[in-house]
Amino acid sequence: MKRKISVLFIAFLVSGTMFRQNFVTKTGHIKFYSDTPIETIEANNHAVNSALNPKTGDFVFKILIKSFEFEKALMQEHFNENYMESDKYPNAMFKGKVVNAGDIDFGLAGTNDAIIKGDLTIHGVTKAVEENGTFTVKDGKIHGQSVFSVLLEDYKIKVPGAVKKQISESIEVTVDVMLEEVKP
Amino acid sequence: MKKWMKIIGALFLVGILAVLYVWFFVYNKPHRDYEKADPDHILAAEELFLKYRQDKALADSLYTGMVVQISGEIDKVESPDSSLIAVFVFDQGMFGDEGVRCILLPNQHTKLKSFSPRDKITLKGYCTGYNDTDVILEKSSIVIEQ
Repeated sequence: MKRKISVLFIAFLVSGTMFRQNFVTKTGHIKFYSDTPIETIEANNHAVNSALNPKTGDFVFKILIKSFEFEKALMQEHFNENYMESDKYPNAMFKGKVVNAGDIDFGLAGTNDAIIKGDLTIHGVTKAVEENGTFTVKDGKIHGQSVFSVLLEDYKIKVPGAVKKQISESIEVTVDVMLEEVKP
Repeated sequence: MKKWMKIIGALFLVGILAVLYVWFFVYNKPHRDYEKADPDHILAAEELFLKYRQDKALADSLYTGMVVQISGEIDKVESPDSSLIAVFVFDQGMFGDEGVRCILLPNQHTKLKSFSPRDKITLKGYCTGYNDTDVILEKSSIVIEQ
Protein backbone atom coordinates (compact mmCIF):
# COMPACT_ATOMS: atom_id res chain seq x y z
CA MET A 1 0.00 0.00 0.00
CA LYS A 2 2.89 2.36 0.87
CA ARG A 3 4.38 1.72 -2.57
CA LYS A 4 0.95 2.34 -4.19
CA ILE A 5 0.62 5.69 -2.41
CA SER A 6 4.15 6.70 -3.44
CA VAL A 7 3.50 5.68 -7.05
CA LEU A 8 0.27 7.72 -7.06
CA PHE A 9 2.05 10.73 -5.63
CA ILE A 10 4.98 10.45 -8.04
CA ALA A 11 2.51 10.01 -10.91
CA PHE A 12 0.89 13.26 -9.84
CA LEU A 13 4.28 14.96 -9.71
CA VAL A 14 5.20 13.62 -13.15
CA SER A 15 1.87 14.71 -14.60
CA GLY A 16 2.58 18.02 -12.90
CA THR A 17 5.55 18.62 -15.14
CA MET A 18 3.04 19.13 -17.94
CA PHE A 19 1.48 21.96 -16.00
CA ARG A 20 2.47 25.42 -17.02
CA GLN A 21 1.83 26.89 -13.62
CA ASN A 22 1.94 25.18 -10.24
CA PHE A 23 1.40 26.61 -6.82
CA VAL A 24 3.05 24.64 -4.04
CA THR A 25 4.06 24.67 -0.39
CA LYS A 26 6.16 22.47 1.84
CA THR A 27 5.09 24.17 5.03
CA GLY A 28 1.33 23.68 4.96
CA HIS A 29 -0.57 23.11 8.19
CA ILE A 30 -2.98 20.29 9.00
CA LYS A 31 -4.71 20.02 12.36
CA PHE A 32 -6.55 17.05 13.86
CA TYR A 33 -9.06 17.96 16.55
CA SER A 34 -11.06 15.66 18.79
CA ASP A 35 -13.51 16.96 21.37
CA THR A 36 -15.34 14.85 23.94
CA PRO A 37 -16.81 15.77 27.36
CA ILE A 38 -13.76 14.12 28.94
CA GLU A 39 -10.91 15.49 26.84
CA THR A 40 -10.00 17.80 23.98
CA ILE A 41 -7.12 16.58 21.84
CA GLU A 42 -5.35 18.59 19.16
CA ALA A 43 -2.46 17.63 16.90
CA ASN A 44 -0.64 19.87 14.45
CA ASN A 45 1.56 19.16 11.47
CA HIS A 46 3.40 22.09 9.90
CA ALA A 47 5.38 20.17 7.28
CA VAL A 48 2.62 19.47 4.75
CA ASN A 49 3.48 19.21 1.05
CA SER A 50 0.69 20.53 -1.14
CA ALA A 51 0.29 21.49 -4.79
CA LEU A 52 -2.45 23.07 -6.87
CA ASN A 53 -2.66 23.51 -10.60
CA PRO A 54 -5.10 26.38 -11.07
CA LYS A 55 -5.64 25.55 -14.75
CA THR A 56 -6.67 21.93 -14.31
CA GLY A 57 -7.83 22.11 -10.67
CA ASP A 58 -5.56 19.22 -9.69
CA PHE A 59 -4.92 19.42 -5.97
CA VAL A 60 -2.81 17.22 -3.72
CA PHE A 61 -1.43 17.21 -0.22
CA LYS A 62 0.80 14.73 1.52
CA ILE A 63 1.78 14.46 5.17
CA LEU A 64 4.18 12.47 7.28
CA ILE A 65 2.24 11.05 10.23
CA LYS A 66 5.20 11.28 12.60
CA SER A 67 5.30 15.05 12.03
CA PHE A 68 2.09 15.50 14.05
CA GLU A 69 2.76 17.17 17.39
CA PHE A 70 0.55 16.78 20.47
CA GLU A 71 0.58 18.72 23.70
CA LYS A 72 1.04 15.49 25.65
CA ALA A 73 3.87 13.10 24.82
CA LEU A 74 1.77 10.08 25.81
CA MET A 75 -0.96 11.02 23.34
CA GLN A 76 1.62 11.40 20.59
CA GLU A 77 2.99 7.94 21.38
CA HIS A 78 -0.47 6.34 21.33
CA PHE A 79 -1.37 8.19 18.14
CA ASN A 80 1.70 6.85 16.32
CA GLU A 81 1.98 3.40 17.82
CA ASN A 82 -1.60 2.29 18.49
CA TYR A 83 -4.00 4.28 16.32
CA MET A 84 -2.21 5.43 13.15
CA GLU A 85 0.47 2.70 13.20
CA SER A 86 2.85 5.21 11.64
CA ASP A 87 5.70 2.69 11.25
CA LYS A 88 3.41 0.69 8.95
CA TYR A 89 1.61 3.65 7.34
CA PRO A 90 4.04 6.61 7.48
CA ASN A 91 2.07 8.88 5.13
CA ALA A 92 -1.42 10.20 4.59
CA MET A 93 -2.42 11.95 1.39
CA PHE A 94 -5.20 13.52 -0.61
CA LYS A 95 -5.22 13.54 -4.39
CA GLY A 96 -8.08 15.05 -6.30
CA LYS A 97 -9.49 18.07 -8.05
CA VAL A 98 -11.08 21.40 -7.36
CA VAL A 99 -14.32 20.55 -9.14
CA ASN A 100 -15.28 24.16 -9.81
CA ALA A 101 -11.75 25.34 -10.73
CA GLY A 102 -13.08 26.55 -14.07
CA ASP A 103 -15.31 29.06 -12.27
CA ILE A 104 -12.45 30.48 -10.15
CA ASP A 105 -10.14 33.18 -11.47
CA PHE A 106 -6.91 32.37 -9.61
CA GLY A 107 -5.34 35.47 -11.10
CA LEU A 108 -7.81 37.79 -9.39
CA ALA A 109 -7.54 38.79 -5.71
CA GLY A 110 -10.42 37.58 -3.57
CA THR A 111 -11.90 34.61 -1.73
CA ASN A 112 -13.50 31.82 -3.70
CA ASP A 113 -15.63 28.92 -2.47
CA ALA A 114 -14.37 25.60 -3.73
CA ILE A 115 -15.64 22.04 -3.98
CA ILE A 116 -12.81 19.54 -3.71
CA LYS A 117 -13.29 15.94 -4.72
CA GLY A 118 -10.80 13.09 -4.65
CA ASP A 119 -9.25 10.23 -2.73
CA LEU A 120 -8.14 10.59 0.87
CA THR A 121 -5.71 7.96 2.14
CA ILE A 122 -5.20 7.57 5.88
CA HIS A 123 -3.91 4.51 7.76
CA GLY A 124 -3.53 2.69 4.42
CA VAL A 125 -7.24 3.04 3.60
CA THR A 126 -8.32 5.12 0.60
CA LYS A 127 -11.80 6.63 0.47
CA ALA A 128 -13.49 8.93 -2.02
CA VAL A 129 -14.35 12.26 -0.39
CA GLU A 130 -15.99 15.52 -1.41
CA GLU A 131 -15.43 18.57 0.80
CA ASN A 132 -15.92 22.31 0.72
CA GLY A 133 -13.15 24.84 1.13
CA THR A 134 -11.95 28.25 0.06
CA PHE A 135 -9.08 29.57 -2.02
CA THR A 136 -8.09 33.13 -1.27
CA VAL A 137 -5.91 34.85 -3.83
CA LYS A 138 -3.71 37.65 -2.52
CA ASP A 139 -0.29 39.06 -3.42
CA GLY A 140 0.31 36.33 -6.02
CA LYS A 141 -0.26 33.54 -3.48
CA ILE A 142 -3.20 31.17 -3.10
CA HIS A 143 -4.35 30.44 0.44
CA GLY A 144 -6.32 27.18 0.55
CA GLN A 145 -8.44 26.32 3.58
CA SER A 146 -10.85 23.52 4.37
CA VAL A 147 -12.40 22.01 7.48
CA PHE A 148 -13.98 18.57 7.31
CA SER A 149 -14.56 15.50 9.42
CA VAL A 150 -13.27 11.97 9.12
CA LEU A 151 -14.73 8.97 10.86
CA LEU A 152 -12.06 6.79 12.48
CA GLU A 153 -14.08 3.71 11.56
CA ASP A 154 -13.92 4.61 7.83
CA TYR A 155 -10.12 4.37 7.94
CA LYS A 156 -9.99 1.28 10.17
CA ILE A 157 -8.44 3.22 13.05
CA LYS A 158 -9.21 1.31 16.22
CA VAL A 159 -9.32 3.02 19.60
CA PRO A 160 -9.04 0.70 22.63
CA GLY A 161 -12.10 0.51 24.89
CA ALA A 162 -10.21 2.02 27.85
CA VAL A 163 -9.82 5.40 26.10
CA LYS A 164 -12.86 5.25 23.80
CA LYS A 165 -14.65 7.99 25.73
CA GLN A 166 -11.63 10.29 25.47
CA ILE A 167 -11.40 10.24 21.67
CA SER A 168 -14.19 11.34 19.36
CA GLU A 169 -15.32 8.89 16.69
CA SER A 170 -15.33 11.81 14.27
CA ILE A 171 -12.12 13.84 13.98
CA GLU A 172 -12.19 17.39 12.66
CA VAL A 173 -9.45 17.99 10.10
CA THR A 174 -8.34 21.54 9.23
CA VAL A 175 -6.22 22.07 6.12
CA ASP A 176 -4.44 25.41 5.74
CA VAL A 177 -1.95 25.81 2.89
CA MET A 178 -0.32 28.98 1.57
CA LEU A 179 0.60 28.07 -1.99
CA GLU A 180 3.24 29.97 -3.95
CA GLU A 181 4.01 29.74 -7.64
CA VAL A 182 7.02 27.62 -8.53
CA LYS A 183 9.11 29.39 -11.10
CA PRO A 184 10.49 27.02 -13.74
CA MET B 1 -4.19 3.46 66.70
CA LYS B 2 -5.43 0.05 65.80
CA LYS B 3 -3.40 -2.11 63.46
CA TRP B 4 -6.11 -2.33 60.80
CA MET B 5 -6.35 1.45 60.74
CA LYS B 6 -2.59 1.71 60.17
CA ILE B 7 -2.86 -0.75 57.26
CA ILE B 8 -5.72 1.18 55.66
CA GLY B 9 -3.80 4.43 56.13
CA ALA B 10 -0.68 2.96 54.53
CA LEU B 11 -2.68 1.58 51.59
CA PHE B 12 -4.37 4.95 51.13
CA LEU B 13 -0.97 6.69 51.04
CA VAL B 14 0.42 4.18 48.55
CA GLY B 15 -2.70 4.73 46.38
CA ILE B 16 -2.24 8.51 46.45
CA LEU B 17 1.46 8.16 45.53
CA ALA B 18 0.58 5.80 42.68
CA VAL B 19 -2.00 8.24 41.29
CA LEU B 20 0.49 11.13 41.52
CA TYR B 21 3.17 9.03 39.79
CA VAL B 22 0.83 8.10 36.92
CA TRP B 23 -0.39 11.72 36.59
CA PHE B 24 3.06 13.32 36.46
CA PHE B 25 5.29 10.61 34.97
CA VAL B 26 2.95 8.70 32.66
CA TYR B 27 -0.07 10.79 31.61
CA ASN B 28 1.77 14.13 31.64
CA LYS B 29 5.29 12.89 30.98
CA PRO B 30 7.34 15.46 29.12
CA HIS B 31 8.24 15.21 25.45
CA ARG B 32 11.67 13.82 24.72
CA ASP B 33 14.41 16.44 24.81
CA TYR B 34 15.80 16.06 21.30
CA GLU B 35 18.49 18.65 21.90
CA LYS B 36 20.04 16.50 24.61
CA ALA B 37 19.30 13.15 22.96
CA ASP B 38 22.22 11.13 21.61
CA PRO B 39 21.91 10.52 17.87
CA ASP B 40 20.93 7.02 16.76
CA HIS B 41 22.62 7.60 13.40
CA ILE B 42 25.33 9.97 12.18
CA LEU B 43 25.81 10.54 8.44
CA ALA B 44 26.13 13.16 5.72
CA ALA B 45 22.97 15.05 4.77
CA GLU B 46 23.28 13.94 1.15
CA GLU B 47 23.75 10.32 2.19
CA LEU B 48 20.53 10.43 4.22
CA PHE B 49 18.64 11.90 1.26
CA LEU B 50 20.02 9.32 -1.17
CA LYS B 51 19.20 6.43 1.16
CA TYR B 52 15.52 7.46 1.18
CA ARG B 53 15.58 8.04 -2.59
CA GLN B 54 17.10 4.65 -3.31
CA ASP B 55 15.02 2.50 -0.96
CA LYS B 56 12.37 4.31 0.99
CA ALA B 57 11.15 1.24 2.88
CA LEU B 58 14.67 0.35 4.02
CA ALA B 59 15.47 3.95 4.96
CA ASP B 60 12.17 4.22 6.86
CA SER B 61 13.08 1.14 8.86
CA LEU B 62 16.49 2.60 9.69
CA TYR B 63 15.93 6.32 10.22
CA THR B 64 12.24 7.23 10.56
CA GLY B 65 11.36 7.81 14.20
CA MET B 66 15.06 8.04 15.14
CA VAL B 67 17.32 10.87 16.19
CA VAL B 68 19.56 11.46 13.19
CA GLN B 69 22.64 13.69 13.05
CA ILE B 70 23.63 15.05 9.65
CA SER B 71 26.43 17.22 8.32
CA GLY B 72 26.79 19.15 5.10
CA GLU B 73 26.81 22.55 3.49
CA ILE B 74 23.65 24.45 4.24
CA ASP B 75 21.94 25.81 1.09
CA LYS B 76 19.36 28.15 2.57
CA VAL B 77 17.29 29.03 5.58
CA GLU B 78 13.50 29.39 5.23
CA SER B 79 11.34 31.16 7.78
CA PRO B 80 7.66 30.48 7.16
CA ASP B 81 5.48 31.87 9.98
CA SER B 82 7.43 31.66 13.23
CA SER B 83 9.51 28.60 12.37
CA LEU B 84 13.01 28.36 10.94
CA ILE B 85 14.06 25.63 8.54
CA ALA B 86 17.61 24.75 7.49
CA VAL B 87 17.53 23.34 3.97
CA PHE B 88 20.04 21.08 2.21
CA VAL B 89 19.28 20.92 -1.52
CA PHE B 90 20.26 17.90 -3.63
CA ASP B 91 17.72 17.87 -6.47
CA GLN B 92 14.95 19.79 -8.21
CA GLY B 93 11.35 18.71 -8.72
CA MET B 94 7.83 20.02 -9.17
CA PHE B 95 7.95 21.43 -5.65
CA GLY B 96 11.23 23.21 -6.37
CA ASP B 97 14.26 22.29 -4.27
CA GLU B 98 14.41 18.76 -2.86
CA GLY B 99 16.71 17.52 -0.13
CA VAL B 100 16.75 17.48 3.67
CA ARG B 101 14.70 20.00 5.65
CA CYS B 102 15.56 20.52 9.33
CA ILE B 103 12.89 22.33 11.35
CA LEU B 104 14.72 24.04 14.21
CA LEU B 105 13.74 24.10 17.85
CA PRO B 106 12.77 27.67 18.84
CA ASN B 107 15.84 28.03 21.09
CA GLN B 108 18.09 27.34 18.06
CA HIS B 109 16.84 30.19 15.88
CA THR B 110 19.49 32.72 16.88
CA LYS B 111 22.30 30.20 16.40
CA LEU B 112 21.08 29.27 12.90
CA LYS B 113 20.90 32.90 11.80
CA SER B 114 24.69 33.11 12.15
CA PHE B 115 25.11 30.57 9.30
CA SER B 116 25.32 31.61 5.66
CA PRO B 117 24.67 29.51 2.55
CA ARG B 118 27.55 27.08 1.82
CA ASP B 119 28.65 27.10 5.46
CA LYS B 120 29.33 23.67 6.91
CA ILE B 121 26.87 22.73 9.62
CA THR B 122 25.98 19.73 11.76
CA LEU B 123 22.40 19.29 12.92
CA LYS B 124 20.49 16.58 14.70
CA GLY B 125 16.74 16.05 14.88
CA TYR B 126 13.84 13.64 14.99
CA CYS B 127 13.46 12.11 11.53
CA THR B 128 9.78 11.88 10.54
CA GLY B 129 10.45 10.34 7.13
CA TYR B 130 10.52 11.14 3.42
CA ASN B 131 7.52 12.69 1.68
CA ASP B 132 8.67 11.94 -1.87
CA THR B 133 10.42 15.31 -2.11
CA ASP B 134 12.31 15.83 1.16
CA VAL B 135 13.57 14.07 4.26
CA ILE B 136 12.18 15.90 7.30
CA LEU B 137 14.03 16.35 10.60
CA GLU B 138 11.79 17.91 13.26
CA LYS B 139 12.97 19.40 16.59
CA SER B 140 16.41 20.01 15.14
CA SER B 141 19.31 21.57 16.94
CA ILE B 142 22.76 22.68 15.88
CA VAL B 143 25.56 20.43 17.06
CA ILE B 144 28.67 22.24 18.11
CA GLU B 145 31.49 19.84 17.34
CA GLN B 146 34.28 19.80 19.89
